Amino acid sequence: MSSGNGTKRIGIFVCHCGLNIAGVVDMEKVVTEIRKYPGVVYAADYQYMCSDPGQNLMREAISEHRLDAIVNANCSPSLHEKTFRNVAASEGLNPYNLEIANIREHCSWPHANDPEMATRKAIAIIKATIDRLKLNAALEPAVIPLKKRALVIGGGIAGMQSALTIANTGYEVVLVESSPWLGGHVSQLSSTFPTLDHPACLIEPMMAEVASHPRITLYAYAEIEEVSGYVGNFVVRIRKKASFVDTAKCDNCGLCFDPCPVSVPSEFERGLATRKAIHIPFAQAVPQRPVIDNESCIHLIRVKSQGKGDSRLQTPDSRLLDGSECRACKEACPAGAIDYSQQDRLVEEEVGAVIVATGHDLISRDVLGEYLSDPDIIDGLQFERLLCPTGPTRGAVKRPSDGKIAKEVVWISCAGSRDTERGVPYCSRVCCLYVAKQTLLYKRAVPDGQAYVFYMDIRSDVMGTEEFVQGMVEKSRTMYLRGQASKIFRDGEKIKVWATDTLTGKDIEIAADMVVLALAMVPSTTARVLARKLNIICDQHGFMTEAHLKLRPVDTLTSGIYLAGTAQWPKDIPDTLASASGAASRILSLFSRAVLLHEPAIAFVNERVCVGCEQCVSVCAYKATTLDPDKKVARVNEAVCEGCGACVVACPSKAMKHKNWTPRQFFDMVDVFAQEYVGEG
Amino acid sequence: MPQSAVLKVKDGNLPNAIKDFLKGLLEKNLVEALLVPVELPSGNNVMLTLVTKVEKLEDARPLAPVMPVNAAKIVSTLTKLAPSEKKIGVILRSCELRALTELVKLKQADLTNLILIGIDCLGTCSVATYGMFCRENASPAEEFLKRVADGDDSLLREACRICEYPAPINSEASDITIGLIGMDWKEGILLQAASPEGELIIDALELGAEGDPSQREAALAALTEERIRQRDLLLQQTEQELKGQDNMLQLLAPCVACHNCRIACPICYCKECLLDSPTMVEFEAEKYVSWAEQKGALRMPADSLLFHLVRLNHMATSCVGCGLCEDACPNGIALMKPFRLVGLRVQRLFDYLPGRSLDDELPLTAYREEEFGELGYK
Repeated sequence: MSSGNGTKRIGIFVCHCGLNIAGVVDMEKVVTEIRKYPGVVYAADYQYMCSDPGQNLMREAISEHRLDAIVNANCSPSLHEKTFRNVAASEGLNPYNLEIANIREHCSWPHANDPEMATRKAIAIIKATIDRLKLNAALEPAVIPLKKRALVIGGGIAGMQSALTIANTGYEVVLVESSPWLGGHVSQLSSTFPTLDHPACLIEPMMAEVASHPRITLYAYAEIEEVSGYVGNFVVRIRKKASFVDTAKCDNCGLCFDPCPVSVPSEFERGLATRKAIHIPFAQAVPQRPVIDNESCIHLIRVKSQGKGDSRLQTPDSRLLDGSECRACKEACPAGAIDYSQQDRLVEEEVGAVIVATGHDLISRDVLGEYLSDPDIIDGLQFERLLCPTGPTRGAVKRPSDGKIAKEVVWISCAGSRDTERGVPYCSRVCCLYVAKQTLLYKRAVPDGQAYVFYMDIRSDVMGTEEFVQGMVEKSRTMYLRGQASKIFRDGEKIKVWATDTLTGKDIEIAADMVVLALAMVPSTTARVLARKLNIICDQHGFMTEAHLKLRPVDTLTSGIYLAGTAQWPKDIPDTLASASGAASRILSLFSRAVLLHEPAIAFVNERVCVGCEQCVSVCAYKATTLDPDKKVARVNEAVCEGCGACVVACPSKAMKHKNWTPRQFFDMVDVFAQEYVGEG
Repeated sequence: MPQSAVLKVKDGNLPNAIKDFLKGLLEKNLVEALLVPVELPSGNNVMLTLVTKVEKLEDARPLAPVMPVNAAKIVSTLTKLAPSEKKIGVILRSCELRALTELVKLKQADLTNLILIGIDCLGTCSVATYGMFCRENASPAEEFLKRVADGDDSLLREACRICEYPAPINSEASDITIGLIGMDWKEGILLQAASPEGELIIDALELGAEGDPSQREAALAALTEERIRQRDLLLQQTEQELKGQDNMLQLLAPCVACHNCRIACPICYCKECLLDSPTMVEFEAEKYVSWAEQKGALRMPADSLLFHLVRLNHMATSCVGCGLCEDACPNGIALMKPFRLVGLRVQRLFDYLPGRSLDDELPLTAYREEEFGELGYK
């Protein structure tokens, strides 16, 4: 076997990178040495090879010296491999006949103190890359069909923004929301900082547009069951949960609500009001259709338990009802829309790309031991409901315990955030600002009331918010006290808050009517399960992780899947919408192509050698390798393989190989270094 | 169903008792074939043989203290292409059962329709020693067992002398265990069922009284303790002997690159070894000369160290320590010791014991979020 394609006419382009490389590595010596290396017909150096003159220098040399293989010695291939491969392609070369020798990150930077050694190492790196290049094959990208249809998971403000952006560009969108209604947390807010807009003005037009959009298929009250396939070709199984109300017949008359004997805490009102088993959470909910909750409907519980166990339920007025007898909503419905026999249905949708916009929850109060369970200690979202004109108190700031107007209210910032011991280490980013907003609105609602805020720092980095907080403090005369509460406990009518003001060093005791905890934002409970189905990564907290914090902030590492909103990390509404628009635009850019071209430098299988041990299958993070059940050999899905090489490492016989990174190429490169450094220990 | 039984030894003839047990399996159609060691016509060696007729069991030597081939490899040959449709009984020593467990995880064998019969093994000798021993003794297996039980391990292969698993450990993979350790071989030995199939067998053979495992367990514990002591002693010594590249090179100096060690190894399962492939062996003369130039001399065949280190690297997690690599070497390179030393260290890193359970994931391809915290990956 030949150790190289001797016919390749190899050109070497060495970049100074200003003084980044040339300040350490002796350029002249590198070029002189490399010119002598077998196979090299041309070598040149230049100050910035990536600049226009640098690229032109390459083009001219390629045509003048009839180069058909090139090594560019410069920075990491993650930066300019593409640039130089495009240059090569523009001169008619196969781009995979160009390789990068990294003499900056791997050489001049770490060895800045030893120019002589760095020069020697740079020469070795280039020589090794030349030997690898000699065995490079010309590769053509794999062509993958593309279904120009998107799936958006989550019908909050992020999901709706993404869905509308894509749909309004002309592509179909499947929107899946796990709750029966659109809107997410924004629909629960009383107003938004710093402009004090009514959130309904933000999301109700969006909800209406989503619901009636000809290119959006909305599955509300539905969950992602299973995702298979890959970019351009995902197959999604969606579980449509039974609502027990036939939407075709229901005309939203609302006559079913009152007769229902079951009252349970309303999720939408965060327990500050009750709802019936058959319910709509709020007047403007979209889609406008009631749902029977099978966890609380006594008829359905009875049906589910099939006579086993206790089917009877204690109702708030202490009557005991036998569920099977209750058909109150069915009897009240003039349209005959109630259907207790409805079952979950599975539907399948084919999409080319996915946006995950599953939002967040608030941290459980249980982990924060010192905030005892008391009806008058509420969380920030509950206070939003109190402030809301359509909320349980019609906007009056009444104590949940006795309905009295709260005259002294204490806010605790960072309840769970920035708390490595019991809570989460990160900052939830929105609390400082919504607490400021809430104290302002509180002062408007209760002009003779007094607001206190315990805080660690005030973080108001978003445009306009610093002014907002400063202005608010002047207007509302809120007492900002720097320090964390040490003890909160009930004392008769009041809730006592003990704390130390760390600015004055004084101990403080406040007898409050109500305490509001600005609880930390945490990922929604289902995030990890969903991430596993999508084969994307979560961080240690369960937030979904982007491919690159700076360069690919809305991509995931699984191509074709993107992130929007607070599923990724705590965000305010502007950041949420920016990421939602970003994710949508990533999909639109994907859909702007006729087909997908996939990087061809990936893994491939030598079937003759493969023994079917499946070690490559277990290590593949992308689920690109599978076992052919008939031939009992591994298969690589060209559309999914990212060329990471884990399977090649796992394969003991190297039946699994990486294109242009074959074992022989590795050994040839090792050989170069071994010759360079032999006998040096 | 009986969990265990005493297999009575008639006239004090232990080999016959086990042979009768095997015959019963075929006669009562509990299995359609048996894979057992059968004596060769020469009378001085045995070879694994797939027996379907009862009369062919006359020459079966299930107690022969010799292991020319690891039975796991043969089971792989039988079942790799497709699961067996016939019920096959296989007699396996601990190291064979453990190797088979590893091969199943590596998709190189399939246990469907196999009845695995584990058997206590006090150790084996080399094929040559066994041949000599047969010439000198009328009943070699019994004589060998007696000597080892009396504490004479001079006949044992080194791998067996430090084997800490004389009894089968993977009860979940096997169906029935033949317990010899701690038993009175003139009277009766212990059969223990490890699966419903095993219970069926004990029931069908109408063996009578349930056995008492306590005697065997006590003797096994004592033997295991002694073996671990021997093992640690030998491996400590090995570590000193093999420290550094020069010592490894010295160990491997006689290697002629026949790669018999790879062929004998039950875990080495590749169809084409990378180290025999064109990638590793096809070079032009000038390449060899350029390597020679680096140090002024190149030992040929080249790459002995590379070959053995790659094999060591590939085997470290699954090596069961059967030592057949060493037996296979025409030049007597003591390969077992480095493989056990490195194997044990690597296996401990992952809390992995090859052959312990089919449910233990192969450590190098299983991803665990929480591991190697001591290296700072938290």
